[in-house]
Amino acid sequence: MTARGFSLPRSAVVAITALVILTPLSLIFWQSFLNAPFFNPAKHLSFDAYRFIFEDSDFWSAFLNSIVIAAGMVLIALPLGAALAFLLTRTDLPAQRLIEVLVLVPVFVSPMVLAFGYVVAMGPVGFYSLWAKDLVGDVPWNVYSLASIAVIAGLTHVPHVYLYSSAALKSLGSDVEEAARVVGANPLKVALNVSLPMTAPALFYAAVLVFFLGFELFGLPLVLGDPEGHLVLSTYLYKLTNKLGTPSYHLMAAVAVCIIAVTFPLVLLQRWLLKTAGKYVSVKGKATRQKLLPLGAWKWIALAIVALWLMFTIVVPISGIALRAFVEQWGEGIKLADVLTLANFRQVFDQSDQVRAIVNTFLIGTLGGALAVACYMAIGLAGHRQRGGVAKVLDYLVLLPRAVPGLLAGLAFLWIFLFVPGLKELRNTIFSVWLAYTVVWLAYGLRLISGALLQIGPELEESARTVGATNGQVLRHVTIPLIRFGLLASWLLVFMIFEREYSTGVYLLGQGTEVIGSMLVSLWSAGAIDQVAALSLINIALVALGLAVALRFGVRLHE
Amino acid sequence: MNKLDAHLPTDLATHSPNKPVDKLVVENLHLQYGDNPILKGVSMTLNPGEVVALLGASGSGKTTLLRSVAGLEQPSRGRITIGDAVLYDSEAVIDMPVEKRNLGLVFPSYALWPHRSVFDNVAYALRLRGIPGSEIEERVNQALTNLGLGALAERLPHQLSGGQQQRVAIARALVYNPPVVLMDEPLSNLDAKLREEARAWLRELIVRLGLSALVVTHDQTEAMAMSDKILLLNFGKIEQQGTPEDMYNRPQTQFTAEFMGSNNHLPGKVREVADGRALLEGEGWKLWGAARGALKVGDAATGIIRLERTRISDGAGDNRVRTEIVTGMFLGDRKEQLFKLGALRLRCYGNAPSGGSESFIELPPDDLWIFANDAA
Repeated sequence: MTARGFSLPRSAVVAITALVILTPLSLIFWQSFLNAPFFNPAKHLSFDAYRFIFEDSDFWSAFLNSIVIAAGMVLIALPLGAALAFLLTRTDLPAQRLIEVLVLVPVFVSPMVLAFGYVVAMGPVGFYSLWAKDLVGDVPWNVYSLASIAVIAGLTHVPHVYLYSSAALKSLGSDVEEAARVVGANPLKVALNVSLPMTAPALFYAAVLVFFLGFELFGLPLVLGDPEGHLVLSTYLYKLTNKLGTPSYHLMAAVAVCIIAVTFPLVLLQRWLLKTAGKYVSVKGKATRQKLLPLGAWKWIALAIVALWLMFTIVVPISGIALRAFVEQWGEGIKLADVLTLANFRQVFDQSDQVRAIVNTFLIGTLGGALAVACYMAIGLAGHRQRGGVAKVLDYLVLLPRAVPGLLAGLAFLWIFLFVPGLKELRNTIFSVWLAYTVVWLAYGLRLISGALLQIGPELEESARTVGATNGQVLRHVTIPLIRFGLLASWLLVFMIFEREYSTGVYLLGQGTEVIGSMLVSLWSAGAIDQVAALSLINIALVALGLAVALRFGVRLHE
Repeated sequence: MNKLDAHLPTDLATHSPNKPVDKLVVENLHLQYGDNPILKGVSMTLNPGEVVALLGASGSGKTTLLRSVAGLEQPSRGRITIGDAVLYDSEAVIDMPVEKRNLGLVFPSYALWPHRSVFDNVAYALRLRGIPGSEIEERVNQALTNLGLGALAERLPHQLSGGQQQRVAIARALVYNPPVVLMDEPLSNLDAKLREEARAWLRELIVRLGLSALVVTHDQTEAMAMSDKILLLNFGKIEQQGTPEDMYNRPQTQFTAEFMGSNNHLPGKVREVADGRALLEGEGWKLWGAARGALKVGDAATGIIRLERTRISDGAGDNRVRTEIVTGMFLGDRKEQLFKLGALRLRCYGNAPSGGSESFIELPPDDLWIFANDAA
């Protein structure tokens, strides 16, 4: 359909979206150029905040750590993810379907939970550490070192690379590979000279994505970096709260602007790469069945390596949490059978705030998820088949929240709810958390919606227009019914993402706004390991529920 | 835009299908994508009860023209009217929304809504017009019966064959009796074999229902078979328009001559011009032909003759050339022979000449059109 100016509902959607995205961002920006919190009457414009953090050696070491960890993650995740994608899409590796599902688990389990899992499983007195000690006399690893954090983060981000490279491999027509075989290339040559170069744009995109995620990392370094004092930018920001004793909002805002200064260009780069990556997509319409490369005896070796990786990224941390949730305490010389208990869960259910956290988390995933999908749909439809300037603005607008780590977005929304008249009453309701979640995951949600919208041929809508339907009627009678399944799938995915989210709620945590994610951060800081274990397990169960439903209905778990 | 509503027939339902009364007129239509002009001033008329084919290669603008009439593309200049209703007028800044134009459009992919049954696909337009349920049922069933789809009303689109889907798409475009039916490559999605049958069926349907139709196609045979008038488009301009006979037998330009049929090409130089005839000379041959357009002695020109007018003859004579046979092809209903004339190749229908490889080909002067080559 051609653009014929923006209708009223369309303009309203764009205006609200702009308001919700730009207000918190400009608040962060403005605050960073003040010498005191913005509600302080004595505040004035200055570079004090930047001067302070730039003179703080902790800031620079945190910045360096962030880059080291992010780069380390790319080095680990990229080759492993690409290899895994090749094994799963192009070879006769056994147990493919099972692996395909398990690979996604690290994507949907909260990093906070995973990090905690590594502590109780592989920390100095973790389950696996002590068993190793019994065997070899010493704990052969240290999960608290910077290198360990990078390795763990790298291994848990293998799925991200896998998803993009397997999508690229699947969309690569087998004809181009067959053509190479016909002119005389052996399978290895085909992989190196045809498949790899043709998937290179996707791999490069995945590398940028992993680096970006590494730069934003919060849960893993918060939990694992604490004992040896390794800070990254996000944990540095988090610790600033306590550093000066008074609310140091201007300093936090300055750090936030520094983080966004790095992440926003990365987001723009990703967008540009995603556009150029499409140039090699050679399959249109029906895909021919790929002929799988027989691995022969190598398949058991490949399977063992994949199993080892799954063991490390899924089994070890989750089994650690599961065990820890059912013991009173754990340490050297303790027998498992002696300490088994349900007390941790009883404790959780005795605390009204923790019960509220569980209820809120479930509600924010189900009802909140549905509402968020409705909002994403409204925005998606506002930009649907539009080519004008406003559509372009919308296009870039929704990229902005992507660059703002959840922790910062939560902080900015806290300020808004505290100081914008009329919103104060909502501060202590779960609405504040829902709004922050919805904005933080806007780019992700919109990708889901636009993925569904892209499936609709424009002629299905055009034909409705020609038989006499107005734009609104086309939406109601053709477009929305056709993306029904896509909307349901988006709801499930958003449910899992909202269950998993932890950093966005950290600053919004208060009476009435508890969610499991932020509760875990708070309980961890307070040292309440028993309840962290029990809540983590409940969180995993909620995500697993979503995953099970998604698998049951055959939802594609990634774009 | 609301003013325009007054021009539309108020009761679309009673607008008789058998007597279209309004004329579709497109005047000087321009359209561009960015800086790239697609239509460069196209004008055309579609009279009531007439079928006009928009013919052209891909990129000629034929689909864009059709979609502009439907309101799915945004022209930059010009005027489109049906009877008294102004659909588009750049000067008066009128651009009637697609849904108000009340036209029928058949898409190349048919664009049936996959989530609605055949009945609901066809009934949708009537429901939008607020027609009572009982009448909808009657009219949809009538439309489906008309198109031989009576038994398939409850099926979903994916349960139909390609030919059946095409009929549903047509039923959907006809059921509300639009003054003009637009068809965008209506046969392109069918198998080659089915296409010929569907062509005859569609022509019969159009004539039986007395429809005014604008049909886009890239196939000249299809255009000639289905339409009363052909508009040949070439890079956004109308190259020539006329009846199928006109277009085929009296092309005004080399482009039209080449587009409309299978031809032999003879590039050469003009040696004499007299009485509307010209003498064309090439390497080792001289032929008289009908001069098309202004020709001067010395001009580079091309002789074009339809394959079926090129004759294999038994000896030397007027306007004949001596050739050597290269090979023959059996096409089922006839044979085609390939001859060599220096570097040129001539094709001809008929049996291979008896008596050696040397043979004579006659190119009658009335059928050999000579066009001056473009200066470029």
